[in-house]
Amino acid sequence: MRGYLLRRLLHGVFVVWGVVTAVFFLVRLTGDPASFLVDQTATQEDIAHARHLLGLDRPLRVQYVDFLLAAPRGDFGMSIREKRPAMPLVLEHFWPATVELALAAAVLATVLAVPLGVIAATRKDRTADHASRLASLFLQSMPSFWLGLLLILLFAVELHGLLPAYGTGTWRHLVLPAVTLAAAPLAQNARLIRAGMLEVLQQDYVRTARAKGVSEGLVLYRHALRNTAIPFITVSGLSLGFMLSGTIIVETVFSWPGLGRLIVQAVPGRDFPVIQAGVFVFALIFVVLNVLVDLLYAVVDPRVRLS
Amino acid sequence: MSHSAIRRQRWTSAPCLVIALGLLIGTARAADQSSVDGVAIDPDAELVVAIPDDTNNMDPRIGMGSIRSSYIRQVYESLVDVDPQGRALPGLALSWKPAGDLAWEFTLRRGVTFHNGEPFNADTVLFNLDRMFRKNLDRWGIKDVAAGTSFEKVYPMVARWEKTGDYTVRIHTSEPVPNLWDAIGREPLVPREYAIKNGVEAVNERPVGTGPWKMVAWKRADSMRFERNESYWGQPPLFKRLRFQIIPEAGARLAALRAGQVGLVDAVPPLDAGVLSHDPALKVVSGPQKQSCRIYLNARPKDKFDSGGKDGLFADQRVRLALNLAVNKEGIVQKIFHGYALANASPVSTVSYGYAAQEPYAYDVKRARALLAEAGWKDSGGDGVLRKDGETLTLQLLFPAKHYGQGFDEMTPAVAEMLKAVGVQVQIKPVDFGTLLQTVTKGTLPYNGGFSSCRTSNNLDADDFLRDWTAITLINWAPYPPELAELYRTTRRELDAPKRLKLLAELQHRVRDWAPVVAIYQEVRVYATSARVLRFTPLTELNMDFRGVALRK
Repeated sequence: MRGYLLRRLLHGVFVVWGVVTAVFFLVRLTGDPASFLVDQTATQEDIAHARHLLGLDRPLRVQYVDFLLAAPRGDFGMSIREKRPAMPLVLEHFWPATVELALAAAVLATVLAVPLGVIAATRKDRTADHASRLASLFLQSMPSFWLGLLLILLFAVELHGLLPAYGTGTWRHLVLPAVTLAAAPLAQNARLIRAGMLEVLQQDYVRTARAKGVSEGLVLYRHALRNTAIPFITVSGLSLGFMLSGTIIVETVFSWPGLGRLIVQAVPGRDFPVIQAGVFVFALIFVVLNVLVDLLYAVVDPRVRLS
Repeated sequence: MSHSAIRRQRWTSAPCLVIALGLLIGTARAADQSSVDGVAIDPDAELVVAIPDDTNNMDPRIGMGSIRSSYIRQVYESLVDVDPQGRALPGLALSWKPAGDLAWEFTLRRGVTFHNGEPFNADTVLFNLDRMFRKNLDRWGIKDVAAGTSFEKVYPMVARWEKTGDYTVRIHTSEPVPNLWDAIGREPLVPREYAIKNGVEAVNERPVGTGPWKMVAWKRADSMRFERNESYWGQPPLFKRLRFQIIPEAGARLAALRAGQVGLVDAVPPLDAGVLSHDPALKVVSGPQKQSCRIYLNARPKDKFDSGGKDGLFADQRVRLALNLAVNKEGIVQKIFHGYALANASPVSTVSYGYAAQEPYAYDVKRARALLAEAGWKDSGGDGVLRKDGETLTLQLLFPAKHYGQGFDEMTPAVAEMLKAVGVQVQIKPVDFGTLLQTVTKGTLPYNGGFSSCRTSNNLDADDFLRDWTAITLINWAPYPPELAELYRTTRRELDAPKRLKLLAELQHRVRDWAPVVAIYQEVRVYATSARVLRFTPLTELNMDFRGVALRK
């Protein structure tokens, strides 16, 4: 187990290094941030001066070596846009705003998906199943920016401020963005559980359990659901990763001051340090979540041995 | 040179006294004011303004463009203030005047203090001039920021500055500079002692100005909160708290307004303005801005860009003029902007000092084709494609999508279609704004290239626009020919206001005919407010001004 963990962590270090290296070079292909620091009437000399101040006039390999030496210390340089150290800026947006939103959405997407999927599977081809599948299709197909605006119009405007249209601070602020963010993964999870349950419910051991007189609840939730859990855990782990990194649209619609919005602003502004620090955090999250998902396999399914 | 004539250019002392008196009376009355226009107001209320973006900085030296001005000018003030019509008013300076041909003198307002109690005086102005021109910084022990505008390069003729009293500052130049009052006077001023003691970072992070609002909290990417400056030298604001709430999505901003969660919305899309104006609970207000959106064409000589040995394809004045005539600007204003834009043939914004209205470029496809033919571009193949010496008249048009707003994004393809109608082969290349900047910075615009972009100004004087085609800069792709360059230099030397205005008008007329760009529209900024907001008036400047604004009880 310890050897497995060490191997995975070492592997993770290489993944993170590969990602940040790729990003380091790719962002430099996209343009020059110095142009953003000067006004439209700037001359070539003004731009050269701005490049010098940013250290972008140094050879690329020198910039890269400096970056590699500083990054392990959490030093990703100063944000070009905000003139502040990039990593604290990224972490400030990540915690609590993005984590809060992603976790709330993940909980919603998981907690609601289980009963919806189970009900749809146990009532196959009946009204509840059709309704569940239709709702899943609807939630999965609807673009989040549109769903977000519809929810704002309904709960903030038509229902006279029942829930706030924007901002952070209270649980009421969290409801609409979390529901918007949870919509697609919830639908995906519900469909996944339905499909898994339908397959498992045909298995001999389920028939045996029923024949032995085990209650239907125990059959469903102890025997059947547990065996549909592995694909569900895989997808949920990845969903959480995507929710942590992919809150860009929801954060923009609801003015949620999270990491997604920070990156959205950083990319067109060529704020290299912020992009690099942000991608580093995302890469780290994905690596950690992947390891956690692998560990959970062993917990859920004793047949899985991590070695 | 007549000094009486010069005085006509600056604001005259009589109206100044009236305004100053009014402001003093206003100060005395502000605390007690309980109604505006007969409507009871709430002096302790908060106004929440939905604004599309955060500011990058609060230190004005880092930059004042775009949305930043709205944040910065609530806290920091400049020597010259401005009224809603774009006219100069006394700000931290009570007056300004030329002192001979080679100096300007500013007389400062007395009794003004920064929010931390530091007095404002001539030393403050000298320190700020040092920062603007990057001189004497070692003396103050500060390492200054990368500046958005390099004053020392734009105004190299500014030689030195001195205080001639505790409240008078004189700026010496090596040649006459008629618009120096504007160039220097519109720059917001920061406190000297505070900056020296705490570093210029503090000026940015914890701004302390003389303005009507004190910044009390800045939650990045979320909001900025202000409180009324009770000891403001002018009339203190008529409500207590102001919050800029960042809501990037226009739809979400408007929903928040309709839900009553914000009181004022900045940057309302023109398409929504008409709908909102029918809602009795809301008000829509709009006003012209200086932002002018244009198609820039490559008319640079081959030694002024990465040309591959070819001059810019649009070097011929007749071609650029033809392209101007081929675009139905009124149609664009009405159909895309629903009337919330202006067609302006002058290179100067309609609200700048020195603007002279120019004959519009008529929408005349026949004349456009004739001009192109005169320039040698003919449909020799009978296929509608214009050719000259085996070359096709093609425009590779870079289009910075999703940067200037929906109207702009609709405008560029519309213009491309209109240009195609006269035989120009237009190839639109949507790029992000950074890529466009990269291209114009490196000078790698193709010889037959162009780009759509907008130009604005933080200054009041026409010079800021007319300077565009002098030195080679990011947006100068059609440098002035020698005679226009000389005329421009003449405007820079003329201190007599009426004579200078005449010269500026003549230059605008000749630039209009010379057509360095395809002028499309000048922006009209649209705001929506709840009916509770009283007396909000848009400025012609980039910022919003809440002095005099009140909230109904």
